[in-house]
Amino acid sequence: MNQAVISCLHANLPAVEAVLKDIELQGITNITCLGDLVGYGPQPNEVIELIRDKEIPTCQGCWDEDVVDGLDACDCSYPSQLAEKRGHFAHQWTTDKLTTENKYYLANLPYSIRKDKCLFVHGSPNSQHEYLLPDMDAFAALERVENARAEILFCGHTHQPYIRELADGSIAVKIKNAVPKDTQEKEIQLPMRRIVNAGSVGEPRHGGTKATYVVYNDVTNEVKIREVEYDIELTCKAIIDAGLPPIFAWRLKNGFEFAEQAEDASHVCER
Amino acid sequence: MIERWALVSGLKGDLDTYELIQKDLKKTPGNITLFVLGDMIGPEKNCNRLLHRLINPKSNDLQPWCIYGWWEEQILLESGYRGDQRAEALRINKGEEVVKSLTNAVDKSFLDWIAALQFGFVELDCGLIHGSSKDVGENLTLDTPPLTLLDRLTRLQVNRLFTARSKQQFHLELTEGIVNSEVEDLNGNRKKEQKVPQKAVIGIGAGKNYTLYDVGTDNTQFVQAGYKTEKRIKGFGRL
Repeated sequence: MNQAVISCLHANLPAVEAVLKDIELQGITNITCLGDLVGYGPQPNEVIELIRDKEIPTCQGCWDEDVVDGLDACDCSYPSQLAEKRGHFAHQWTTDKLTTENKYYLANLPYSIRKDKCLFVHGSPNSQHEYLLPDMDAFAALERVENARAEILFCGHTHQPYIRELADGSIAVKIKNAVPKDTQEKEIQLPMRRIVNAGSVGEPRHGGTKATYVVYNDVTNEVKIREVEYDIELTCKAIIDAGLPPIFAWRLKNGFEFAEQAEDASHVCER
Repeated sequence: MIERWALVSGLKGDLDTYELIQKDLKKTPGNITLFVLGDMIGPEKNCNRLLHRLINPKSNDLQPWCIYGWWEEQILLESGYRGDQRAEALRINKGEEVVKSLTNAVDKSFLDWIAALQFGFVELDCGLIHGSSKDVGENLTLDTPPLTLLDRLTRLQVNRLFTARSKQQFHLELTEGIVNSEVEDLNGNRKKEQKVPQKAVIGIGAGKNYTLYDVGTDNTQFVQAGYKTEKRIKGFGRL
């Protein structure tokens, strides 16, 4: 059966509506959301209420956590101090806008959702702030999936959709200086695992302007990345009308969101 | 001259054992650097004399280079050095009495020194930590999955990881690793074969059991403080 996985909606209502319409047109009713319903975008309450109305199972993203608990990521998440200031402004704006009920909803979202062999998280099983980039160290990537006791790990947070298969792995180990004095050697076969990043509905960072999500078939194990056009002008106008930084609109319109990515995105914030 | 590291942990206030190790090391050939990888304190005995000695070595002592361990983390938590957090894991697992014993075992005047200790050292291509690069309380043992060990090495970007938390002594080499990665994204497909060079995780032991590491040859020697001397006295010769 096909199921859709969406992530990083970022209060962009036209994009969310377009993606949900695309999912509906394919006859898919099983949807999972990987969080970041809010942040940057101009319609946080509307997006939360849409997800709640449709009863879409959702993980808590880093923005969802931060607007409830306060900022706990350091400036490593941003490529510049200017970008950090804009992010903090958007954080405060979103916190002020959200209804108490919607804050309560975000506060009570789970960190992860498990369905059989699939684990759904926002960033990584370790942290909502950790980026699993498509070309990160393959052994470290495999460790994230394996230690989470999953076969397929669905994540978001990077805003870059990808499907990564890690296969045919092995590690040889040798115990030196053992007690009793013998040397033991063995080779351990590593399991085949996959990481699927759903990209971003509301703030793509793949160099284009289209919203992205993924469709997973749990019978064939096939995963497809979907790109969806939406009314960007509508979102841009709402950003300007809301008094959010105009650069948020410019980035969406020009597909320059990737410029907002931190230089060392693999860094795990410890704050 | 041979360069050796002496790696010690889990003294838990035991000044006698520390003096025994210092005595051993004076007889050990080579240029020795002494690292104390945490758990200098514990709830069982008063730790003030040991802490004083570590901070103020005697003139003929090897200078100890210390990091904090799990018990240091507990006292820092309980003493308010980690914000609002307290030593709840200790309290739940060992009870209120042990929390009290720990705080009674260490004079408050030492807390600033403990709080200033580092999480670990990186020397050459080696990481020296108490637990793991993920958590001061993580036990790395021979039974830890190799993938996890590799991840803990990768996090510190080192080829050797010396760990103390498990109290075990072992030298496990990851001699060869390979995994094939295939990524599909909006730009197409790309395949990559990733290999890892030889790496190792070394459990250094605790208390009287410590480790000597020969930096030049990458050899480890697991030692028990005072063992050789005791055996000679009893006439069994050197083992």
